[in-house]
Amino acid sequence: MKKLSRALAAVAVGAAVLAGSVAAQAQDKKFTIALIPGLTTDGFYITMRRGAEAAAKAVGAELVFQGAPEFNPVLQVPVLDAIIARKPDAILIAPTDKVQLVEPLKKAVDAGIPVITVDTFIGSGKYQTGAGDGDFPLSYIASDNVLGGRIAARALANAVGGKGKVYVSNVKPGISTTDQREEGFKDELKANFPDIAVLDTQFNDNDANKAATQLQSVIARNPDLVGVFGANLFSALGAANGVQQAGQSGKIKVVAFDAPPSIADNIKTGLVDIAIAQHPAEIGYYGVISAFAHLTGQSIPVAIGTGFTVMDKTNIDKPEIAQFIYKD
Amino acid sequence: MSAHTSTKSVADPKQSRSKQLIVRIADMRAWLFLVLLLVFFETWSRISYGQTFVFAAYNAQSIAIFAVAPLLLALGSTFVIISGGIDLSVGFIMGLSAVVAAHATNMAGVSLSPFPAMLVGIIAGLVISLGPGAVNGWLISKLKVPPFIGTLGMFGVARGVAFLLAGGTTVPVSNSWFAALGNGRFLGIPIIVIIAVLFVLLMHYVLSQTRFGQHTYAIGASEQAALRAGINVGRHTRRLYLLSAFCAGLGGVLYAARFTAGAAQAGEPLLLDSIAAVVIGGASLFGGSGTILGTVAGALVIAVIQYGLVFINVEPFWQFVAVGVVIIISVLVDQTQRKLGGDR
Repeated sequence: MKKLSRALAAVAVGAAVLAGSVAAQAQDKKFTIALIPGLTTDGFYITMRRGAEAAAKAVGAELVFQGAPEFNPVLQVPVLDAIIARKPDAILIAPTDKVQLVEPLKKAVDAGIPVITVDTFIGSGKYQTGAGDGDFPLSYIASDNVLGGRIAARALANAVGGKGKVYVSNVKPGISTTDQREEGFKDELKANFPDIAVLDTQFNDNDANKAATQLQSVIARNPDLVGVFGANLFSALGAANGVQQAGQSGKIKVVAFDAPPSIADNIKTGLVDIAIAQHPAEIGYYGVISAFAHLTGQSIPVAIGTGFTVMDKTNIDKPEIAQFIYKD
Repeated sequence: MSAHTSTKSVADPKQSRSKQLIVRIADMRAWLFLVLLLVFFETWSRISYGQTFVFAAYNAQSIAIFAVAPLLLALGSTFVIISGGIDLSVGFIMGLSAVVAAHATNMAGVSLSPFPAMLVGIIAGLVISLGPGAVNGWLISKLKVPPFIGTLGMFGVARGVAFLLAGGTTVPVSNSWFAALGNGRFLGIPIIVIIAVLFVLLMHYVLSQTRFGQHTYAIGASEQAALRAGINVGRHTRRLYLLSAFCAGLGGVLYAARFTAGAAQAGEPLLLDSIAAVVIGGASLFGGSGTILGTVAGALVIAVIQYGLVFINVEPFWQFVAVGVVIIISVLVDQTQRKLGGDR
């Protein structure tokens, strides 16, 4: 029995290699690729899904998109288990925790399903190193959030003329991506903009109302505040409103990370000065293409970094920039 | 005064004067907390920074703006909690209203000029909130579903529908009138604060001066007694959950106006703050007691802690500790008051 299944497996691998050698023959077996986002109710992941669908169409694969409504491992793991039970050919996932998703994802690998992580990572984010725990996914496809933070820092520093007080409005500690943005932002300012002082980070629990009142309070104590970096949508939305309520629009520069339509609108009305857009569609597209390449016997890079686009009032109307506004 | 205090004053002759005084003070504990907090922040601010905290109009205004959203949710919850119920769905009803108001304003803006388009948006946002409120009331009064469970279910439904309508993102609104409503000033006072104050006065009047208010206290004190007294408890309950949902709807509309975007998760972080405001304000989760002015003080306590700790630059995680401690003290005072006052 064992021998038979092994022989069958060998045949299957052979078939896959054959199919890969002639991409058109992929129709023989239509691959099913599952995409599990960090949360389903977010423009970022919805845009990622569009890119993934475009790639799936291009290679003739079927895309399954399922996830939890909140960015939370307790909610994401049951979705993952259900997907594993359906035995897709590959899983693309944005793990909601570096540690807690390691064991659940091992189950996928044990079931013979290759795993690629998108946007967020497990373990150290360095895969296929033989380091053991959490290095088993084939590839990590994402924007480099530390770099994104650095880009935000440069944009803000240039907007405020390289001096003054700024701070980071952040969600809460412990989220890999927003932590990295803050880290990159602070590192860049420390290294290259010595005349900019970074005040304590304010955490708002993803509540725009709180982010707004925190900004107003920070100004009350630091009337010489010149800028704020909103590390995610609601941090930026709230900080921008705080600036407006304090009557400081234009004087205090607001940099937003991520570019959903509401932030794009705020750039046009002047509430937000600069947005750092990630390229989620690119992440989804290369996720599916990488999975397809692997399934058809090609080797794939262990990490793919996607880019950023800096948006402001001067360029937001240009089509080559506007294409990076997240879709709804 | 309210039906509640008048019931108590019947029992008063039995008490000693000092006990009466303690009970009186305990009734106003939320305002006492508020004063203590302000004294604390004023002292700290003057010693550490040589700056006033309380006597700066800018600080007062910022605190008031922050308090508006949790306060609006808390006003409706005050009625529901006094009647012995709870409404967990308000956070997502607020989000639903924010999204619908944003969409409706944009759609109406295609054919109408900004001002009537804004009115369409406001009305749509308020009307949509009544849907979940009506279902809540029907589940609780007709099907006898416990309020905790019924409104928890509606929490999920409202949330799902809001996210579906918003397409998983925030819905930007471009309407100059709407933005002015959310961020404009009238005689130097933020318009949303003026709206909240007027609404507070109305709710205070309804709870303390009308039969509707009296019935709310009566049902919370004893549903059986209220039934025997001829109160239509079912109908009253349905109206209470409609009112609660309407308050959340108003919160959602003002949110959309202020942030010029409707977000399904707008009210999510506010649910616990709003219930905390009601409890700090002196309402009992067992029903029968509570006042609107207490709730206002409760909401201000939370807002002052939130703003003040950033102002004096304290590690942000202390906010959670501070609000938690105030809630615990508040409940302890309530228990002591009941023992002393013999209030049920």
